[in-house]
Amino acid sequence: MVVRTVVLPPFWSLVESHGDELLIHARRLAGDADAEDVLQDALLRALRAYPRLRHADHLRAWLYRVTTTTALDHHRKRSRELLTGEAPAVVIEPRLYDDGFEALIRPLSAGAQAALRLRFVDDLDYDAVARRLGCSVVAARQRVSTALRTLRAQELPT
Amino acid sequence: MTLPAALLDKLASVAVREGLADAVFTHLDTPIGTLLVVQGEQGVLRIGFPSQADDALLAEIAQRVGPRIVASDRELAATRDALSAYFEGDDESLDVPVDLRLVPSAFRRAALDTLRTEVGPGDVVTYGTLAARVGHPNAARAVGTACALNPVPLIVPCHRVVPRGGGVGSYAGGPEVKRRLLAHEGRLSARRP
Repeated sequence: MVVRTVVLPPFWSLVESHGDELLIHARRLAGDADAEDVLQDALLRALRAYPRLRHADHLRAWLYRVTTTTALDHHRKRSRELLTGEAPAVVIEPRLYDDGFEALIRPLSAGAQAALRLRFVDDLDYDAVARRLGCSVVAARQRVSTALRTLRAQELPT
Repeated sequence: MTLPAALLDKLASVAVREGLADAVFTHLDTPIGTLLVVQGEQGVLRIGFPSQADDALLAEIAQRVGPRIVASDRELAATRDALSAYFEGDDESLDVPVDLRLVPSAFRRAALDTLRTEVGPGDVVTYGTLAARVGHPNAARAVGTACALNPVPLIVPCHRVVPRGGGVGSYAGGPEVKRRLLAHEGRLSARRP
């Protein structure tokens, strides 16, 4: 048996190097009011998963991904609370529903994935998508349509 | 880094409470400079002097103990208080748990354990005496190595071990720091009734 030794840097060094930009990212996705909660939750998720990482490459991109997913989960939970008027008695893991969708969009960049989730999973209009992404409505439309075009191109048989 | 301190504190505290932290570290200002203190679940794992690079010490902890390392002054408050009290002259204060898992051999662990439990403030022993107390009177040199590589100086008081030939000998924090610590403890013992 080959024992694989992954040398991961101390987790806090990642927080120190990338914390600021991750907070900006969380603000962009979740708004100023929720950004710190989202980032704290995201860093805890990352800490939980950290020892299971199989390599130490692209840790910054990984943290961006965890923060994006966490922001989207927060947003979905919020929407559900708004719809029912109360917090759900059982927290349903959104991924159960979204497996097909998630698998479909996995090849896209994190930014493209975020745009598509906001539009089609969260069912936001382009004004709301733009607010979430911190861009103009025109840019939000463009991001979604570019992501869709990329997906369609990938679906063609090669 | 400009992340809000409250966010970082909370993150570290939740991590510790949920058992997600392999180790917690803090920096402590003392008369001999800013120390790095790293603690695991069982006790203090590592104390680093200002002359030693934090990055390297924490990278070693990540590799040997685990990479889930967080920073928190609050979670290490008891250890911080004990070290501060020591520097302020409370000689009984350094009785805090240590975790010697970074020490790679049973003999070295035994030597450091004996040193910690039997050589109190104001006492000074030679490498040979300590070797004899561990039951290996001819192992003065090996005891010297154990002291030189002591991961938790101050709490395991390797500054109280000196060469038989005189002088204070070498020290991870530099001989000047060793001399200061011995002088500090000398004043303590002189004040005793």
